[in-house]
Amino acid sequence: MAAPLYNSGMNDSAYNVIVAKDLEDLIPVFLRNRSKELEALRAALAAADFEQMRQLGHRMKGVGTSYGFNRVSSIGKLVEDGARGGDRAALAACIAEYGDFLSKVKIAYE
Amino acid sequence: MSVMSDLAKAGTLAPARAEFRVLVVDDDPDMAAFLAKLLSVEGMIADTVLDGESALGRVAAAPPDLILLDVMLPGADGFTICEKLKGDPATAMIPIVLVTALEDQASRVRGIRAGGDDFLSKPVKREELLARVNTLRRLHETRRELEARRLAAEVQRKEMLHKAFTRYVSPRLADRIIAELGDGDAPFRSAAQRVSVVALFADLRGFTRLTERTAVDEVVGLLNQYFSVITEAAYRHEGTIFGMAGDALLVGFNVPFPQPDAAARAWRAARDMVESFNPMLAAWTAQGHMATGVGIGIASGEAILGNIGSPHFMSHTIIGDAVNTAARLVHMAKPAEILLAGPVYQAISAQIPAGAVQPLGDVALRGKSDATPVFSVRL
Repeated sequence: MAAPLYNSGMNDSAYNVIVAKDLEDLIPVFLRNRSKELEALRAALAAADFEQMRQLGHRMKGVGTSYGFNRVSSIGKLVEDGARGGDRAALAACIAEYGDFLSKVKIAYE
Repeated sequence: MSVMSDLAKAGTLAPARAEFRVLVVDDDPDMAAFLAKLLSVEGMIADTVLDGESALGRVAAAPPDLILLDVMLPGADGFTICEKLKGDPATAMIPIVLVTALEDQASRVRGIRAGGDDFLSKPVKREELLARVNTLRRLHETRRELEARRLAAEVQRKEMLHKAFTRYVSPRLADRIIAELGDGDAPFRSAAQRVSVVALFADLRGFTRLTERTAVDEVVGLLNQYFSVITEAAYRHEGTIFGMAGDALLVGFNVPFPQPDAAARAWRAARDMVESFNPMLAAWTAQGHMATGVGIGIASGEAILGNIGSPHFMSHTIIGDAVNTAARLVHMAKPAEILLAGPVYQAISAQIPAGAVQPLGDVALRGKSDATPVFSVRL
């Protein structure tokens, strides 16, 4: 499986993801669950529920790269770390970035 | 289970690539689906559950060949589930790969202590997952093949024992003896034991005179026909053959395993012997041989069961008063006559047509101080 095309800057290529062909049928559910996850993060941030955000971030970190979505994992790590530190502003930025990524992500299957 | 069914099972030895079933335990449905997908692409059968308790239930219902177990689970965590599975002899041999995003040393050590066979880090890399799973799969298949070979060797041993046993006892009884044998058990106990037995002697009456008038080759043929018929009858009623000498056959009931209906079995076997011999007798008569017939004596009582003889020649047999009495009775019996000692008759009298029985009174048998009540049944 080739590495995703994500670069550290959020240029156009940052939204391009290459997924292994044999995972294609799993992706619709995967993306639906990420959208639910985003809503859960927003709700947890509003409620200042840092433990909930830490757990969600931990899960994102594990599942993202496994599917080829490196950006999901890297944002997940930032969320997990931010939740541990109680850094509300940093968490808000991460969640906004996650929302932006999910709204623009483009997937190619190889 | 019969030896033949054991053999049939052993015949289905694990093929080089048998079905390989993996249970994926992860509370994240996406991760569980991802792992299951990669495994199924490799030809494995993957099942998924989302928590530890469900995993325990699934393993109990259908043990998989390997478990991928997430550490961070709701309720009992992966370490606890791993400890439970490895602590149960029924599941201890199932390899477990702990899947974790925890990378600290303490978590790894805890996983090893819990009995985990390997670790897989999250995010999961396809190549690493497959390398680890395939290594454990090869180990599993090697172990399964060794187990199949061990089973085949055990079945072969039992088959040899079965062949040896069926010279003496019915095939069904041989199956039972072998099924109750431990791996290191000798087929027969070396120590003699006192047993309650029903002894049946069968004898071809008038055979000595027949041998005087018949060619030797023909005598052997006739004897083999006769013994085939009466041993089959003995086996049909699960008697154990303890001796064959000349034209006499000694069959024991209630040995080596208890038979609460031993007297009835002996009676049915005796009747079966006489009735089964009748068609052969008719054929012999038609061939010009002199008339003969099977005489039978049955007695019950204590006997000693054991290996009797010298180091050079030994028989596993029964000796004692019941055997002696049955031997005396058979010498008195006429063709197609069954002589029953009193206690045997008392035990089975209801099964014998009233008109067929003739009490002979108390008979003084050779070598016995007390007279023995004897009943004659003519078929």
